[in-house]
Amino acid sequence: MKFSSALLPLLAAPLAAAEHTSNWAVLVGTSRFWFNYRHLANVLSLYRTVKRLGIPDSQIIMMLPDDMACNPRNSFPGTVYNNADRALDLYGDNIEVDYRGYEVTVENFIRLMTDRVPENMPRSKRLMTDERSNILVYMTGHGGNEFLKFQDAEEISAYDLADAFSQMWEKKRYHELLFMIDTCQANTMYSKFYSPNIIATGSSEIDQSSYSHHADSDVGVAVIDRYTYYNLEFLENKVRDPTSELTLGELFDSYDEDLIHSRPGFRYDLFNGGADAARSRRIVDFFGNVQNVEVDDGAKRNETQWREELEAIEKMIEEAKRRHNESLNVRPQALNVMEEVQHSERQHTIQKEGAVRMDEELSWKKQVIGGAALLGCAGIWAASSWLESL
Amino acid sequence: MATPEDANASLKTEVSEIASVHPNQSPKSGVSSAKPPQESTRSLWLRRTVILSFWAVAVLLGLPVWWKTTAIYRSDLPLQAMSDWAEGKIGKPVFPLRIAVEAPILPQDTHSLIQTTQHVLDDLNEFSAHQLRLMPVDPPLTANASQHVVVDGTRNSGDDKDTTLLIRLIPVETGETPRSYLQPYSPTLHVYYSPSHISSVSSTASPLAAFIARELHDIFAEEQAQLAYLLSTTSGEHIAKVHSLPQETAAELQRRSTRVLKYAPTYHLTFSLFTPTSTPSAWDIEAALRQYMAPLLESFSAISNFTIDTQVQLYATLSPSFPPPEYDENAKAWTLRNEDLSGFINAAEWPLSPSIADGPTVNFALYVPEQSQSPLLVKDSGASSWLVPQWGGVAILNPPSTEQDAAPLSALSKEALAPAMQTFSNQLISLLGLPQTPASLPLRLSTLTRVRAASLVFSASSTLGALAQVYQKLPSIPVPDTVAKSVDLALQHLQQACDELREGRFQGALEHARIADGEAEKAFFERSMVGQVYFPDEHKVAVYLPLLGPIAVPLLMAALKEIKNEVAAFKARRAAS
Amino acid sequence: MPKYDKALVFGAAAAVRLFLFTAFPSLPNLLAGRVEVSTPVTSFKRLQEGLFLYTHNVSPYDGGVYHQAPLLLPLFSLLPNPSYYPLATNILFVLVDLLSASALAQIADSGQAAVTRLFKSSRKELRWTSTAVAAGFLFNPFTFITCLSRSTSALNNLFILTAMAKACQGASITSLFALSFASYLSMHPIILFPPLLVLLYDVRTSKSKSPANPAVFAAIHTTILTGMIGALLGVSVLLTGSWDFVASTYGVRLLLPDLTPNVGLWWYFFIEMFDSFREFFLGVFWLHVASYMPGLTIRLRKQPLFVATTLTGIFAIFIPYPSIADAGLYLSLIPLFSHLFPLMRYTFLALSNTMYASFLGPAFYHLWIYAGSGNANFFYAITLVWNLGLSIIVGDSLYAALRDELEVERPELRDKEVTRI
Repeated sequence: MKFSSALLPLLAAPLAAAEHTSNWAVLVGTSRFWFNYRHLANVLSLYRTVKRLGIPDSQIIMMLPDDMACNPRNSFPGTVYNNADRALDLYGDNIEVDYRGYEVTVENFIRLMTDRVPENMPRSKRLMTDERSNILVYMTGHGGNEFLKFQDAEEISAYDLADAFSQMWEKKRYHELLFMIDTCQANTMYSKFYSPNIIATGSSEIDQSSYSHHADSDVGVAVIDRYTYYNLEFLENKVRDPTSELTLGELFDSYDEDLIHSRPGFRYDLFNGGADAARSRRIVDFFGNVQNVEVDDGAKRNETQWREELEAIEKMIEEAKRRHNESLNVRPQALNVMEEVQHSERQHTIQKEGAVRMDEELSWKKQVIGGAALLGCAGIWAASSWLESL
Repeated sequence: MATPEDANASLKTEVSEIASVHPNQSPKSGVSSAKPPQESTRSLWLRRTVILSFWAVAVLLGLPVWWKTTAIYRSDLPLQAMSDWAEGKIGKPVFPLRIAVEAPILPQDTHSLIQTTQHVLDDLNEFSAHQLRLMPVDPPLTANASQHVVVDGTRNSGDDKDTTLLIRLIPVETGETPRSYLQPYSPTLHVYYSPSHISSVSSTASPLAAFIARELHDIFAEEQAQLAYLLSTTSGEHIAKVHSLPQETAAELQRRSTRVLKYAPTYHLTFSLFTPTSTPSAWDIEAALRQYMAPLLESFSAISNFTIDTQVQLYATLSPSFPPPEYDENAKAWTLRNEDLSGFINAAEWPLSPSIADGPTVNFALYVPEQSQSPLLVKDSGASSWLVPQWGGVAILNPPSTEQDAAPLSALSKEALAPAMQTFSNQLISLLGLPQTPASLPLRLSTLTRVRAASLVFSASSTLGALAQVYQKLPSIPVPDTVAKSVDLALQHLQQACDELREGRFQGALEHARIADGEAEKAFFERSMVGQVYFPDEHKVAVYLPLLGPIAVPLLMAALKEIKNEVAAFKARRAAS
Repeated sequence: MPKYDKALVFGAAAAVRLFLFTAFPSLPNLLAGRVEVSTPVTSFKRLQEGLFLYTHNVSPYDGGVYHQAPLLLPLFSLLPNPSYYPLATNILFVLVDLLSASALAQIADSGQAAVTRLFKSSRKELRWTSTAVAAGFLFNPFTFITCLSRSTSALNNLFILTAMAKACQGASITSLFALSFASYLSMHPIILFPPLLVLLYDVRTSKSKSPANPAVFAAIHTTILTGMIGALLGVSVLLTGSWDFVASTYGVRLLLPDLTPNVGLWWYFFIEMFDSFREFFLGVFWLHVASYMPGLTIRLRKQPLFVATTLTGIFAIFIPYPSIADAGLYLSLIPLFSHLFPLMRYTFLALSNTMYASFLGPAFYHLWIYAGSGNANFFYAITLVWNLGLSIIVGDSLYAALRDELEVERPELRDKEVTRI
């Protein structure tokens, strides 16, 4: 299932020089049950960070498989904390969860990434990216060697994730992708990627577990994982506003293996330009929503000229309409292109039936039929018995 | 289940001599047990037939069921054609533009003028896909009706919709000649010449012909550059032309491609009024739109449609992490820094980009600063509006400077909105990709038509190519028939689009290209194509084994035992004979 | 006196049933709601729903509630509405039970259980009388409860028993007619066709002078059966107006869209089955049910009635929507072979198993659904035990029948212990 590497340079070349014009974040929590509080706190912390740095809700897809804030075991109902000091309520007033509860499945995740969704899927649940979008994909939960568990019921394997990303690349659905994963044996999860322009980082190597940072004795469970904690520490303290120039290299260098208790890994080989280009990308290129605006020329504005232009445009439209009507009279040339498409569509919708009207109880009519059926069966029975008695 | 085994088993017995008295005692060591009697052939074959019947059900009925129910249905796609389109081997688009020349001179002279001009044009042209074809046209009404000149077997009327540009030659006595004037609102180029030029029209060095050719080249230069740039991103054939472009043009095209929205048949325009206080709370936006925006939008109607929504947000404060504006003494205004502008829109709290229907949303935000912070301008440039690529535009409407304690404006009238509307119109024009030159609006619109048609053709081709790749690389995805149908439709319309392009009917080409792109997207994003991607083969074993294993074990063991016995009996018979 | 024994038994059974129907008017509805008794394809409540829709000129299969055969609707519409005037319906079901018992008595009377054309059991004196067998059916608690719940399994059982009874008497056409009705109502009785065919052949050959050609015999009877089923389906098409009823009746049994728990094995598997394998495993399970018939028919060709009986036992365990009615049918047919009881080894185990499961099943269901302190595994485990009990009976009776055949071949082995080599 590997991409033929010969085709890579052909596809990568034309997009090399372009820059990104939108930022999206896909934040996926994969575990449920109360004792996995910290995984949802991880996701919510990242959510707050990307919102703070400017990504709007319409460009964040958050998947929370369980509801910790309203869990009956939560001593602080309606809140989710990621620190024992409980200074910051992650849940707050203004969060938008796109996939909740049992909607967080492997199939829905892959459908989200490849955009193979039914027609009536609301826009807020779709990843409407194009070839100029940078995407941050963050996943956390319980994982293992080349798999990640979803809701204790199913798993996604590293191959499926790699295939999903390759389909995204085929359809030009991302410009650059930063993949972060915080689970046990996380680095195995990105080992199978083969599409270009992906930077990947994980919290622990194969055969290593990722640990939680600390627990809150009043909440009763661990509230944050180590890798995410140290990521957040850097992001909250150093990347204070959307104009920060700090790079991914500096973020990655800040990881201290002694503090995280596992070895984070990085993957730069798929990125255009290798490790240097990847590490020199700014953090806000993925975590923030930076768009290079074009300031209008402040000086020129001739209003009267503009009004004249508007009038002239109106006249032009009138003229065009007149000519169009004339040409229609001369030679009725119907643009039947749209019509054939509509015609075939119309044929499909003809089979819809409406509701059936219920009649009054026509009991006697049915009873006549019933009587006839009964007599028929009885008659056949009698006839066969008589035949056999011969 | 013990049942099959019991059915299979033919009971052989060991005779125990002591059994009748003490059934549970084992025989004494000294007593020899008799050999069991030989099994009759009938019972042997009975047993074998029964085993065979179970195997027959499993093989003759079970295997076809397994094959039919677990086979992934993949309908046939014309992979070769799709890949060829994606690589640009089929359907190389060409853009022959028809230019009509209307001249009040003798037809033979017109003919030779056209020929000369065409030669010069072709020499100037470096981009083979984009051709300008001149053809003569009868001047309306005043020409000699009896003379019907047939040139090249065609006779065009002046109102032909497929004519891109009409050159009208007008003889003048005074003024510099030759000179030209491009009508700003109609696709007509007036060329003023002095009659003395016509006499030398047949010579190849005719200055009039050269002048016309140069003018035409200049008019369509930007379109050629755009088309070359577009073609170069898909196939490598036209890279040469791109490299010949001057540096600024190439950079400008690059910047434009970053800014311009992707083509969509319908755009949603959203006009929002944000203010950090409670005033102004109303604006006469409908009238303003009707007067200032509607003509522009209608002129685009051949290419795309527009729907418009408006909203007003009061108490829309800036984001807390946004550096507050500083007061600049020199400009006597509050200023925002250039690099901060991208964070101006408080995306977390200002409701923008509603999820309504398909089609991209273009946001136009009008911000009215509070009295204490106005006028609000961008530092250095003093501008009060900026364009956000692929998103929309922002304009700051500074309320007119009044005395300090005058009441703030509570509603914005149509006239007050006029400057903002002008800004938004310009921003919309650049977001939609309308080129800056030539000066004639209809020409720019027809350029946009051509460029959009070309980009749609390429987008559809690349989608088909991507689908072919996915089909080949991932064999476990089911591909339903609807995908094959969409692909066929897409290929058909692509072919028609290219044909129409070649014949110069650009409007029709845009229609076909639009349908082709839609069908290609529908085919690629077919929702059932995700079915079994995440089912690795190892897991299939885990599904089959627990249920089929216990059924398979007795069947296999019984069959093996029978085969072993048969082989042994066969050997015994051979040894005996 | 033996002549009045049967009347007494029948009368007593009818009386008790009618008494329960009238003394506890809410009892039928209560039982019709129990999953062990009524299944989505046999429930009386669903029949009422279908009747309502039918009499109001709406397709009875609209809404996906009614999954039973169309021909039941005009027949039941002859009776007054059971919600208001239940007496007629109750009498009908009591009659159905009595007719089934009478058919069972006919089977017992024909003696085919112990003495067939090719086989004569050495213990045929140990057979129970037909009255005893009929009593075993009428007073079997499973049959009782089925009758009280007015489940259409009772009709199914009636037709199966009639088919077997007529086959024992050699009456081909009526036997095939009854079998076609049974297959038309619920699909699986068609699997009983080969053993009943063998039985018919045996009886007719022993009655007539010249043995008929087996191939011709089989062909003729297959054609007759196909024709009768075709006619029934044709009448159904006329009644409902199209072939859509096939998807709602037989399609439900084949594709299992309704996974309401019952005493069978299927629902639990198919709740947790991956969608991509669902059709395959539906095919496997159906093939499994059908695969026992050729093996049994070949091996026990000499005792076709026993094959038919064992197949009803297989049905009670392995069909998609079994209920206690199917188990009751099997357990009532077993006493026909009472001469095999001494040869059976695990009767105590089977009996205690069945009783254990019968009492704990409803209890665990209550724990799961109503009390909420158990889960589906509780109930499913008990149904597994229930089916284990039935399997023990099936296997043990099969052993006994084979042993019986062996003892005819080699009489010296009577009363000896046997081991398998």
